[in-house]
Amino acid sequence: MLSLRNVSLTLHDKALIKPFSLEIAPGKIVTVMGPSGSGKSSLLSFIGGDLDEAFTARGEILLNDERLNDLPPEKRGIARLFQDDLLFPHMTVGENLLFAVPRMPQAERIAAMRAALEQAELMGFEDRGPHTLSGGQRSRVALMRALLARPRAILLDEPFGKLDRELRVSIRGFTHAHIAERQIPALQVTHDPEDAPPGGRILKLTATGEVIDV
Amino acid sequence: MLNRRRFLALTAAGFSVRPAFAADWAAIEAEAKGQTVYFNAWAGSEQVNGYIAWAGEEAAKRFGITVEHVKITDTAEVVKRVRDEVASGKADGSVDLVWINGENFRTMKTEKLLFGPFSEALPNYQFVDVEGKATVTQDFSETVDGLEAPWGMAQLTFFADDTKVTEPPLSMAALTRFAEANPGRVSYPAPPEFHGTTFIKQMLLEAVINPSMFYKPGDGAIFSTVRAVWESMLDGLHKNCWREGKQFPKSQADVTQMVADGELLVGLTFNPNEPANLVAAGRLPSTTVAWQHKKGTIGNTHFVAIPTNANAKAAAQVFANFLLSPEAQARKNDIKVWGDPTVLDLHKLAAEEQHAFATTAMPGSVTLPGPARLEPHASWVPLVEQAWLERYGKG
Amino acid sequence: MKIHRLAALPLFLIFLLPLALSLALILPVFADAAAFKALLNHPQFWGAAGLTLFTGLVSTALSLICALMIIAGRIDKPPQAGAMLALPHLSLAIGLSLLIMPAGLLARIIALPFGWTSPPQWVTTQDPYGLALMAALVLKETPFLVWAFASLLNRDDLRQSFAGQRAVARSLGHRPASLFLRVIAPQLLKRTVWPLVAVLAYSLTVVDMAIVIGPTQPPTLAQLIWTDLNDAEPATAARGAAGVLTLCAGILLLLMVVGLSIRLGRPHTGKWLSGPPGTGLHKISFLTQIWGLWSLFYSAIVILLLFQSASGLWPFPNLLPEDFTLSAWVKLLSDGGPLLTSFLLALATATTALVATVVWLEGMRPSRDKILLWLSAFLLCLPSLLIGLGQYRLFLALGITGTALAMFLAHVLPVAAYVFIMLQGPYRGFDGRWQATAAGLGQQRAIFLRQIKWPMLKAPILAAFAVGFAVSIAQYVPAQLAAAGRYSTLTIEAVTLSSGGNRALVAAYGAALMALPLVVFLLAQWLSRPRWRMR
Repeated sequence: MLSLRNVSLTLHDKALIKPFSLEIAPGKIVTVMGPSGSGKSSLLSFIGGDLDEAFTARGEILLNDERLNDLPPEKRGIARLFQDDLLFPHMTVGENLLFAVPRMPQAERIAAMRAALEQAELMGFEDRGPHTLSGGQRSRVALMRALLARPRAILLDEPFGKLDRELRVSIRGFTHAHIAERQIPALQVTHDPEDAPPGGRILKLTATGEVIDV
Repeated sequence: MLNRRRFLALTAAGFSVRPAFAADWAAIEAEAKGQTVYFNAWAGSEQVNGYIAWAGEEAAKRFGITVEHVKITDTAEVVKRVRDEVASGKADGSVDLVWINGENFRTMKTEKLLFGPFSEALPNYQFVDVEGKATVTQDFSETVDGLEAPWGMAQLTFFADDTKVTEPPLSMAALTRFAEANPGRVSYPAPPEFHGTTFIKQMLLEAVINPSMFYKPGDGAIFSTVRAVWESMLDGLHKNCWREGKQFPKSQADVTQMVADGELLVGLTFNPNEPANLVAAGRLPSTTVAWQHKKGTIGNTHFVAIPTNANAKAAAQVFANFLLSPEAQARKNDIKVWGDPTVLDLHKLAAEEQHAFATTAMPGSVTLPGPARLEPHASWVPLVEQAWLERYGKG
Repeated sequence: MKIHRLAALPLFLIFLLPLALSLALILPVFADAAAFKALLNHPQFWGAAGLTLFTGLVSTALSLICALMIIAGRIDKPPQAGAMLALPHLSLAIGLSLLIMPAGLLARIIALPFGWTSPPQWVTTQDPYGLALMAALVLKETPFLVWAFASLLNRDDLRQSFAGQRAVARSLGHRPASLFLRVIAPQLLKRTVWPLVAVLAYSLTVVDMAIVIGPTQPPTLAQLIWTDLNDAEPATAARGAAGVLTLCAGILLLLMVVGLSIRLGRPHTGKWLSGPPGTGLHKISFLTQIWGLWSLFYSAIVILLLFQSASGLWPFPNLLPEDFTLSAWVKLLSDGGPLLTSFLLALATATTALVATVVWLEGMRPSRDKILLWLSAFLLCLPSLLIGLGQYRLFLALGITGTALAMFLAHVLPVAAYVFIMLQGPYRGFDGRWQATAAGLGQQRAIFLRQIKWPMLKAPILAAFAVGFAVSIAQYVPAQLAAAGRYSTLTIEAVTLSSGGNRALVAAYGAALMALPLVVFLLAQWLSRPRWRMR
């Protein structure tokens, strides 16, 4: 369970997001929509732990009742997906995945990595460089990499924004299915109402900074 | 105007120029007028540079020639440049006059890169102390043959701060005992640095009772008869040297600076007046004393020579002649100016000219002089340098 | 991109052709078997070779480690290292030895409370393992690498991509230390191969620093070669030339070994790169704050040089000289000729090299760069004496020794090499999509270059110019030979005067040599400041 309590966001004394609270149950995806510059991405940065110093954020972030506010990003257990897949260009596909696997015997790490490759239907791509992959393949690797870190929550920052229409539908389905299957609470921001999973909760950020249910 | 310049030139050239000589020389002087002499000379000392600048200004005033001091760090640079120029057929060479002696002279002479003979025909050559100073005609055992004009005298000289070295060591054996009493405070520049090589040659001369063998060409076989003694003397000194003789300073300038700092106690130089000059310049304390070994230290002469492809040979000769003039030599001899000993025989000069050479003892002057000893034949240099590097070059 | 054959012409004329001709003129003369035999029989050869390898490799490795640590600690705001590049190697070595030598400032500070009256017998300079030389090299080369890394991190495209990768890596559980070494550093290194090669080559061939602060028994190979090459005896000079070829071959071999082991070690590095989060690296992350040491040290050097330049007699253990004198500065400034010559030459050569390089980079296929990079690195490996002599013969054959043209050509060669090495990476790394965007907007290429590409590449372009300027100022041997005594530069004056060992004068010239490039570096830094700080 990912909980936000009285979270608000200001930039140079301008209130971007007025205090609001939110609870996301395991396996559920809450979608936040709003115009550009409304502070959607900054909200994710605040939860992820790398908000730019120019912003001031208030309120509590709780994950299964543990307060995250003072933890560095790497200790929060919150995976993130961006519009760009951000695969590390100097590592192979396999190494990109392994990078996310927590400390355990190497054989088990490799097994986890191979299992992820299989789920992404990318068997045999282990030693390929990321630049040899198609856009859809890259997106799947990026998702698998995020999931391999065994996150306790996941933040999606317009993750399908750069994909073409057809691919968008399939990657979206792939992503949502994996999140639901693993029972991870997820928060996503997007422009496209279709990105929200069927029946999922959708919040809207208004120009005045109110957060309202749609 | 012309007459006056002629008169000054004659004055500078001395009073007793022979008429026939004077006619030839007048032609050279006439040709020289308006020429530029590129004088390539080591420029590591402000005193030397200052003196050359003065001489250049005088030459401009008196003979209408321009002197440009081309500042160099190593005369070997000039040797190579002239060799390359001559090889490529460049007739208007970039070097008109070069400050030179020893190995570089021998190389240029052997490779026929020098103009001349000219030096003995210089009007002022008549004052040179040919009889009393063997090294003005024998440059490191190589006969000069008029291919270079003597300029100044040099003799290996040691110096120290009187407050720290009360009894100057007057031989290599004494220096070794001094090092024993003051471990880590004696050293010399690493050969093949010029002063370092001279130091180990001096050791060679002091290693035997009769050094006549060193004035003939040497080889490995001859060297082997003295090598063990020489090495044991060096060993004896090195074990109490700076860094236990496993490292040596890189240059004479470094040694001098280390003496000024007190890191070393004894310095060495080829110019007997350098210590006094450095005291005057505020770089050594006024309690500095200088000495030469009782039985003598290696002495030599430095010269100026004209490359075979020099562009301004006439002006170069005029300037070389001026450098030999009693007036220029006396100024050079002045410790406050440079302190480079003269190559002239003072007895050949008029009384008032002699007077200009009178020196009063200054702080840092040589108080315990020793005789000048001839350089070993040039063939000994590679022998001792190679042997030294083999034994001490690896640390 | 449009390809113009003619675009190669300027760089060909000022760089490739003179370099090739100089080498052709000088190499055959020296490369004979007897010379190689003499070299191998030199009593100090093997010791010197070992010392060279040790000091060169270790100092390069340490410089790299220090530079990475410094960048790791300030990745969001990379330090401004440009000004430090302006300090000539020679000035730094002199300053360092004034600080650490037995009669140096540190010893004097310690001497006071202990009541020492003569300098301690410390082995702080000229130590047998070349540690002081290595320290000087690390102090000098680290800012160069920091600067090379910083110019990458300041590039907008890389900056954005790195920021995203860092956010991802942290969300995957990696701490800053781990993600820097595994994600950022490898990508930085891949783009700075040539500056690294230059550092290694420089460390293995440096002469002036080694002369000031390195050991003599044995000396480094470069010093040994230098002494030989300076000898008037043709056989000894030939032994020196054989040494140059040996050293060059050794460096090439070393680069190949390093390159091969990087390639062969790829599976192992891959395993390390993809290692799990939670290594103990963060425990030493305080070391990333060492940049302050550099600032401190460089300030100390400059102050010490200025102080020494005005000092009279300064006996040990006094903390202050007995008297102060401005005679060294009077001497230096009384003849403005060399100063002006140096300045004009540096301005002309850096500008020409920059224009020629940009013309090449705009007009030639990127695949052609490689040969030029290799040649530049090769040039940096060669002792300047050798290339200087070759060049000199070329000038003699052309009959231009002692002319302004010869001075210009002698200076522009190394300047072009450095400018090309510095600019090639950033320039080729420029995102081609910008051009496509501009073209899509119907803009001419000239307008695109003038209004988009060059302004965006302003920082690396200005920095390359500043480096070129500094390189020109520091030239000694080729300048001296080409000038044939008809011109003098600040460096020629400084080097010739330093052979006399007058510390005040040496320090004054050391400071003056630094001043000109420093002004240019600061100007370049100021001009290339970002228009606004990116979030």
